[in-house]
Amino acid sequence: MDFSIQKKEKNTVRKHFQAAIIGSGPAGLTAAIYLGRSKVETVVFEKVIPGGYVVNVEKIENYPGFVEGISGEKLGKLYAEHAEKFGSEIKSEEVTKLELNETPFKIETSRSSYTSDSLILATGTSNRKLAVPGEKEFTHKGISFCATCDAPFFEGEDVLVVGAGNSGVQESLYISRFAKHITIVELLEFPTAEPILIDRLNDNNKIDLFTSHLVMSFKGDKMLSSVDIKDIKSGEVKNLKIKGAFIYAGEIPNNDLVRDKLKLDEKGFIVTDEYLRTSVNGVFAAGDVRNTPLRQVATSVGDGAIAGYEAYRFLEERK
Amino acid sequence: MGLLSEEDRKYLKEEFNNNINREVKLLYFRNDKNGSEYSKQTKELLEELTSLNDNLSLIVESCDNTEKIKSEELTLCPSIKIKSDRSGFLNFYGVPAGHEFISLVEAIKDMGSDNLSLPEDVIKSLKEIKEPLDIKVFITHGCPYCPGAVRNAHQFSLVNDKIKSSMVDANYFGELSRKHGISSVPHIIVNDKKGFVGNLPPDLFLDKIKEALK
Repeated sequence: MDFSIQKKEKNTVRKHFQAAIIGSGPAGLTAAIYLGRSKVETVVFEKVIPGGYVVNVEKIENYPGFVEGISGEKLGKLYAEHAEKFGSEIKSEEVTKLELNETPFKIETSRSSYTSDSLILATGTSNRKLAVPGEKEFTHKGISFCATCDAPFFEGEDVLVVGAGNSGVQESLYISRFAKHITIVELLEFPTAEPILIDRLNDNNKIDLFTSHLVMSFKGDKMLSSVDIKDIKSGEVKNLKIKGAFIYAGEIPNNDLVRDKLKLDEKGFIVTDEYLRTSVNGVFAAGDVRNTPLRQVATSVGDGAIAGYEAYRFLEERK
Repeated sequence: MGLLSEEDRKYLKEEFNNNINREVKLLYFRNDKNGSEYSKQTKELLEELTSLNDNLSLIVESCDNTEKIKSEELTLCPSIKIKSDRSGFLNFYGVPAGHEFISLVEAIKDMGSDNLSLPEDVIKSLKEIKEPLDIKVFITHGCPYCPGAVRNAHQFSLVNDKIKSSMVDANYFGELSRKHGISSVPHIIVNDKKGFVGNLPPDLFLDKIKEALK
């Protein structure tokens, strides 16, 4: 059994900040570190847990400096500790509304209201839903989005994983420690995960990969018990008996707060320039929520640094 | 060599010294029939923890002591109940290992102090609860979201003695998990009936609990 420690958040009653960051993933917390070191009064709003989506990742192996890899959850804690060290405040409050028409920007949370002279959106992405029959009905009744949380429920069972990108393959390898057998279903003709992950996938005799397949529907009574998948080349539909399904079929941007306020691209990602400025002066976007060619911890950290620095420059120029 | 690293022992000692100002008893009901290594390691861990501060003590009982279990208002075994003269029902069914270890540490600190880190509006709302409320937070040791949910429930119990809060190791108590149809965590079961999945900030967490009561 393993035992580990984490630090507590320290909150003030302050209602106005020079910089507000929405999202406490790698981008948001890196921006907080940079702003804190620039002596900018900064708040970070976190919805659930510091680290953002990265806490779901059992081991991050491509983040420089951690040769043996590091758990996403541990990395998230380190980021939060680092941001707090330089004075940023992390509030466990869900932001429900933003008003960006004038400065200071208004921020409403589920509990209170705040204002800020600048804003960084680092709200990340959510797992794309498949929008197939049974998906909603069996979510949390066999369908899951967090392997590190829920894989132990499927000890000795047959499991489906949707998506053969980095997340799908990496999580399949993790789930294989528990499950009897895993079927990965990928819509494309080939898996898009990194070659090193594909090698591990090929070496794992518990996992089968079906490319050019899509999920038609999830079935069951009270709990998930099977899935219909279709071979898009032959048109053949198969029913697989499964107890669990994990869905990693791409991401959608968490843009609810700014959908009608900022310029978005055709997929809903926030459009930024190279300084990570958005279509509203004083509002920046960083990390997975913006239009970027690669969504990784390393790229989010880079974004956070730029957004933090540019928010600081914006505040300085206003003086 | 103990279960805690030297670095963690040092950190915990400092945390306990800075936070604990009243006697705290860890009441551990152990189950030697079902997983003796599990039980042995848990006892070792609790011994190590309670050795770090003079205000902490450990009482070990057997799951066979059904009278005592009943008198403590517990329904499952093994369990670790954290007690002090502060009002609050803070309990762990199974072992709070992995990510849940921090929940145990926080519960000990809470019961040994006057700490309360809930917003005023949530405290007010919790005080208005008149009927008994049993919150069970089902967890797995690898779930990073679960400690936040356990912490919310435990803090709620500190505000109102009508509220009982327990972490439940979903894998150890597999049958109970299956009975509630649990396959995702944190899964919060209210009054052994309805529930919801996921952790939320305290105000929204309370809203969900109230919704489950309807």
